[in-house]
Amino acid sequence: MSQAALQLKFVTSGYKASVVLRDLSLKIDSGEAVALLGKNGMGKSTLLKTVMGYLPKMAGTVHVGGEDVTRLPPYKIASSGIAYAAQEQALFADLSIRDNLRLGLEKESTFDERFALITPIFPVFKERLKQYAGTLSGGEQKMLLVARALMMRPSIILLDEITEGLQPSVIDRLVDALLWERKEHGTTMLIIEQNVPFAMKVADRYLILKQGEIVDEGDTKADKAQETIFSHLRV
Amino acid sequence: MDNTSNTTPVEQVIQMSNAISHKSGLRYLAAIGVALLVVGPWIFDTYLLNILVKAFFMAMVAVTVDVLWGYAGYLTFGQSAFFGIGAYAAGLIFTHSGFSASNAIIAIGAAVVVSMIVAFVVGWLSFYRGASPFFATVISLVLPIVLVQLTLSGGSWTGSSSGLTGYETFDLTVEAWYRIAGAALGLVAIAAWFIVRSDGGRILSAIRDNESRCAYLGINTLTVKTILLVVTAGIASFAGFGYGAFSGVVAPELGGFVLGTELIIWVALGGRGTLWGPLIGAILINVVTAYLGSSMPFAWQLILGASFVLVIVLLPQGLVPVLLKPFGLGQYVHRIPHLAVRETAPVSDLEKTTPAILMEGVAKHYGYLKVLEGIDLKANRGELVGLIGPNGAGKTTLMRCMSDGLDRSAGNVSICGNDIQLLPPDRCVKFGLGRKFQNANIFESLTVAECLRIAGTTRVTPSLLKQDKHLTLPQYALDVVNTTGLSQKLGAVARDLSHGEQQALELAMVLAQEPRLVLLDEPTAGLTKTERTQIGNILSSLAHKYQLCCLLVEHDLDFVEEIATRIVVLHQGRIVMEGSFREVVNSELVKTIYSGASHAPMETV
Amino acid sequence: MILFLDIFTTVATLFVVTAGLMMIFGVMKIVNFAHGALLTIGGYTSYVVTQLKLDPWVSWPLALLSGAAIGMLVELSIVRPLYKRPLDAILATWGLSIVIGQLIVMTFGREVQFVDAPFSGTWPIFGVEYSAYRLMLLPAALAICLALTGLLNGTRFGVKTRAVIMNEDLARGIGINSGRIRFITFSLGTGLGSMAGALITPLSSVDPNMGLNWLVSAFMLVMVSGHSMASLLLTCLVFGTVQVLISTFLSPVLGGLAIAVLAALTLRIRPKGFGNG
Repeated sequence: MSQAALQLKFVTSGYKASVVLRDLSLKIDSGEAVALLGKNGMGKSTLLKTVMGYLPKMAGTVHVGGEDVTRLPPYKIASSGIAYAAQEQALFADLSIRDNLRLGLEKESTFDERFALITPIFPVFKERLKQYAGTLSGGEQKMLLVARALMMRPSIILLDEITEGLQPSVIDRLVDALLWERKEHGTTMLIIEQNVPFAMKVADRYLILKQGEIVDEGDTKADKAQETIFSHLRV
Repeated sequence: MDNTSNTTPVEQVIQMSNAISHKSGLRYLAAIGVALLVVGPWIFDTYLLNILVKAFFMAMVAVTVDVLWGYAGYLTFGQSAFFGIGAYAAGLIFTHSGFSASNAIIAIGAAVVVSMIVAFVVGWLSFYRGASPFFATVISLVLPIVLVQLTLSGGSWTGSSSGLTGYETFDLTVEAWYRIAGAALGLVAIAAWFIVRSDGGRILSAIRDNESRCAYLGINTLTVKTILLVVTAGIASFAGFGYGAFSGVVAPELGGFVLGTELIIWVALGGRGTLWGPLIGAILINVVTAYLGSSMPFAWQLILGASFVLVIVLLPQGLVPVLLKPFGLGQYVHRIPHLAVRETAPVSDLEKTTPAILMEGVAKHYGYLKVLEGIDLKANRGELVGLIGPNGAGKTTLMRCMSDGLDRSAGNVSICGNDIQLLPPDRCVKFGLGRKFQNANIFESLTVAECLRIAGTTRVTPSLLKQDKHLTLPQYALDVVNTTGLSQKLGAVARDLSHGEQQALELAMVLAQEPRLVLLDEPTAGLTKTERTQIGNILSSLAHKYQLCCLLVEHDLDFVEEIATRIVVLHQGRIVMEGSFREVVNSELVKTIYSGASHAPMETV
Repeated sequence: MILFLDIFTTVATLFVVTAGLMMIFGVMKIVNFAHGALLTIGGYTSYVVTQLKLDPWVSWPLALLSGAAIGMLVELSIVRPLYKRPLDAILATWGLSIVIGQLIVMTFGREVQFVDAPFSGTWPIFGVEYSAYRLMLLPAALAICLALTGLLNGTRFGVKTRAVIMNEDLARGIGINSGRIRFITFSLGTGLGSMAGALITPLSSVDPNMGLNWLVSAFMLVMVSGHSMASLLLTCLVFGTVQVLISTFLSPVLGGLAIAVLAALTLRIRPKGFGNG
């Protein structure tokens, strides 16, 4: 029986006195890609931060690959095989591209080999390792984030609104990159998105989060998926 | 409608007994103090009396340090500098001009005036818009060092490193000095006590807890802090004068950095924020140091230093309160006032026709990044405008530009017909603006009642001596307090409230200012369904019944649909659409923006 | 010419004294007010070496080690609990310096002592005779600067440390154990502070309060200089030069105040100081 890659059981968390997630449970199997959808302020980012250990869990447990990580500090959770790209301030702008990429690695010696793996997907970084990350364009920065995550050879990738503010061509690259990663390594993914078409292409399954609770879920490839989703996100 | 606070009977009894034990504990302390003052000369020997006189003067300065640090949150190493100025005023004038009654008066005057001027300059340097508290502490460090160096370089005029000695001074016995110094200390302590506990004095703690919130309530925090510094400097200087006049010796150490740090140590050990703790602590430590100073000087300093470290790390409330807790002095009891309605000023005809907010051509850039562009917005009394838009559209920036004259890069903003120009928030607020922040922005260590009272400062000036038995609020603020149950929790400390209650408290505080325009940033964030309904009803009545203008940023569109009279859509820094909820929701443009099907690239740096 | 040498050796001395404090402030954002006490410990290490008639060169590594050892204890017991209360961290480290100071007095007494310098005499340079030991401070400061820069920019530990300086939360999120980085950095900073004490002692003398005089200047320099070694060097250069000029041409008293006053004014006008924030 395979362990779920990521499992939350009755998790309650939030900021100081304010509860954002209430009794939330979800399970993601190894190799699955799940899209977390929902309007702003509904708790999506809070969920990722809770999994990563940045927010204390007021109740409930989080298991990664069968291991209880509820009380672990963020650096231990990251080292246990989770690559996380936050929505804001996810890069070291004053460090070089090379430094940004190598910081995620456990062993320095694996850099060349791992870098060679991702250059086909993101050739733009090949000659620019010494460039400061802050000087990259918005699209390139997001690509760097994904590259860093891929280089960590993680078991789970968590992405928070990776497509925000990007041009369609860049978004397409990201779709390719993530699909390639899934095909080559079967990496589990949990992505937060406002861009529904992107989410539909990359993920197998979707969850709709509203006021800190999961109100709907389904298969992204199902017939009425798009309609169902839009009805929840209806303006 | 008069409302007595209705805690349960058990709670009331506990509260009363706490109050009695606290009050009686303090009264016992005060009684002991007075008794020692009267009886001292007969039971203490001359050596001890001598030490006590000096200790009393030091304790006066310790009290000022506690007010500055424990109450107002300003960590200062510089009060010793003012003490030194006072001491040297005595030393210099009596040495170079001899002693006489008129000289004494001149010396006291000089001491106090010079200190106050120096304090004013220090205040100007340390307290300015955007200053960090760290910087203020740094300046307070530099002050005594500068003064001591100047003293050292004064040659024979200031006595340089040996100081001045042997000057003629008041012809009083030690016993007389003891009574005078003790009485002065008592007066200073009592005055400080009344002030920090008064309604007005709580503003100090409010500034310490949340300076920005004070600014948005119309309080000019920079002025308050400077005035506080100037007054405490005068008192410290007066104490210094007494010390110099009594001991007949003044040396540079009296105004130095080391004494400045010792004062902090006495206050920390005595218990910052209690007043009586530092007073007792300062006296005790000075007495013990004098006695142990000859027999085991180093071990005693070691013990003091180690205790200080322990207290900072483990017992931030100080040693003396812990030791005296059995006598009921550990708890601070809050007076719970009665709520009453405050009549709001009638609205003139002119006000009825002037827009509550008028923005023309407002823009905001950070370098090349354009966050807002070409904003033209108008809202009138009685409207409830919902401001919506995706993340990063610029909604919070828009609110900031409305409430802070220095924030925008271009354009004009008028609140109720008044151009805000480049005015800071505390001035903008006085034009009739109230701003409710996204995170419950309140005063964590103050009670609900105190928060509400301070919120009304611009309307009802709180007394600097008394605690008013009544707390008046405009009817709509009172409605919030009653509906959300805060009226039962007037004595609760704000940080102990639930998230929803804190949000309600902040809203009530904003309304206590009697604003004409209320800005609300995501008022429903983190609220339960019931709380959201309550807030919705309250906001509706604010606009429709009381004719306030409300502008809210919101993500919860169901909520907005219920109550808004008009919707404004913001996207990538521009207003792209305005209209009724129906119109906006059904428009193609808005659907596109929200569905994420088209994302234009963001302009980046 | 002597003026230039005075300026450069003063700048070098300032840098040597401040480098350790800077490491701690940059990474942990707190000011170690026990820095003065560490300087004093370094000075007394030299004194002990002199008393034991050992080779004076031994005092440098010995001071480095003893400072680092003390730093490890302090980080675990005092600094770590005060991580979220930086103003209290200043107070606690100040209290610690009082404790250290008293222990020193109880062990060695209050008197001013003298130590053997690794070498003495004067050297002829650019046509004047100048104190050899003072001159040696220049390469010493450069060596420390290069070593630290090399550490921060050339090693994996260094890049992790720089990451923590820039954004600790992000660093933790990609697997960096920021707690360990802080521990190592603090110990390194205290070790450097102690070694600086051993370095500067031969210039004057050793007494229980020698560190105190340096503390405030070092503190102000660190406040102004921002977060990199390069900006620290620049700050020391500018302020050191001003201090020497004022001392020489106006008065030594005003010179002693120069750094503190100028730093305060600089911060008032430009809160980020010389750094990029």
